[in-house]
Amino acid sequence: MELCLETGYTSLNHIGEELCGDHVESSVNGQYTTLVLADGLGSGVKASILSTLTSKILCTMVSNEIDINECVATIIKTLPVCKERGVAYSTFSVIHVNRQGHGYLFEFDNPEAIYYHHGKAMDFEREELDVCGNAVFKSELNLEDGDIVMVMSDGTVHAGIGMILNFGWPRQKIMEYLDHHLDDQMSARAAACVLASACNEIYEGQPSDDTTVAAVRIRQRLDVNVMVGPPVNKEQDQEHVERFLEGSGLKVVCGGTSSNIVARYLHKRLKPSLEYPDHAIPPIAYIDGIDLVTEGVITLRRLLELSDKYVSISDLTPKYYVKEDGASLLAEILFERSTHVHFFVGQNVNTAHTGLEIDTTMKLKLVERLAANLRLMGKEVTLLYD
Amino acid sequence: MIIKVCVGSSCHLKGSYDVVETFKSLLKKYNVEDKIELQASFCLGNCLQGVSVAVEDFGDAQVQESEQVKRTDQGLLLSYMNGQNTEKVFVDTILPLLK
Repeated sequence: MELCLETGYTSLNHIGEELCGDHVESSVNGQYTTLVLADGLGSGVKASILSTLTSKILCTMVSNEIDINECVATIIKTLPVCKERGVAYSTFSVIHVNRQGHGYLFEFDNPEAIYYHHGKAMDFEREELDVCGNAVFKSELNLEDGDIVMVMSDGTVHAGIGMILNFGWPRQKIMEYLDHHLDDQMSARAAACVLASACNEIYEGQPSDDTTVAAVRIRQRLDVNVMVGPPVNKEQDQEHVERFLEGSGLKVVCGGTSSNIVARYLHKRLKPSLEYPDHAIPPIAYIDGIDLVTEGVITLRRLLELSDKYVSISDLTPKYYVKEDGASLLAEILFERSTHVHFFVGQNVNTAHTGLEIDTTMKLKLVERLAANLRLMGKEVTLLYD
Repeated sequence: MIIKVCVGSSCHLKGSYDVVETFKSLLKKYNVEDKIELQASFCLGNCLQGVSVAVEDFGDAQVQESEQVKRTDQGLLLSYMNGQNTEKVFVDTILPLLK
């Protein structure tokens, strides 16, 4: 089974600041994924500049396999020195790992990374290195399917200081919290959001420090094929459906006409549900052999709204979906479960929809914007038009 | 007898939800839940005259056609349905078909 890496993070800004003093940078280079979380000294613009520089430099250098000594030396020489404090300083955590789960983690002055393995939060074995006079900790990574590596800025362990928790939120307590609130099925994005949201609660919505949680997760590849709308020429219906059905992975059909075409092709009955888990979203339907059947453009519009929230790094709503309407079910499959998404888009104009807020141009735009958001989530997306 | 309410995009925007909920309560009110099965349908091909409702499987009873009520091969096609007129159509057109 092919494994894939996914990354995600959530940031809370120091109260009153427009910029976050923490910065996360990630890149994919062949088999390797590199993620850097840096926390700049202070808060606001200065901190933001320090952490942005640090994370960009580290991410570029590490992803190109340059030795950590050289990377750190470069940062020390590059960072601007703060006039007030006379130092140039930004902490960092670097994860560099390939699709087989092998790689390493380097940490400098951030809270220790947490290893979520087999449903339990634990420590990494760390080795102390002296890099240009700084104590940098190195851990070997040998990740297995479902494992998550979580790195964070110190806003997490400082949560609640002087407010509801006298001494902040100790790492041990954070790990206990994760034991109870994460599960094996959660995406990296969802897991990071769980911890950041908890910190925000402890800060009572007013963080006194920039707080960022980033996660890298290794998981199995899952392809999802989505058919949206019938082809322009009716004669292409069969070919279009055949191509949609031949790929591996989950099959999703969006749209009334499309579902009728697929049901006819499969010689199965199309059974629409009468249940409205959400009044604004038309009911889903069932076809034997198809994993999810929904209405088209109204459902997609809601899905796009959900995707906008999902990709926002400051949005704290949970990143998993328990509602049973078509849009939420689609969101769970596409945002949380998929790694590769293939859209089969038919551009036929539904004359009944012309002039309504649901016409074909609208639908094509929705699919494009949705594809862009899915790419931001790290999914590989293909679009095939008929 | 089967009543199929269209829940496609177009009819949804015109108020399928209200029609479905009204039918659900009418089946209870007139105590015909064991005689009429309520279903949903994706696009009955009558989008411009929605909300569309198909009535099927009721024998060969005579029906007075109108702008709103049309005879089809499968049974009846009701057009322009909404939350307000559903009970009237139900009492005037659908209930008599059961006898």
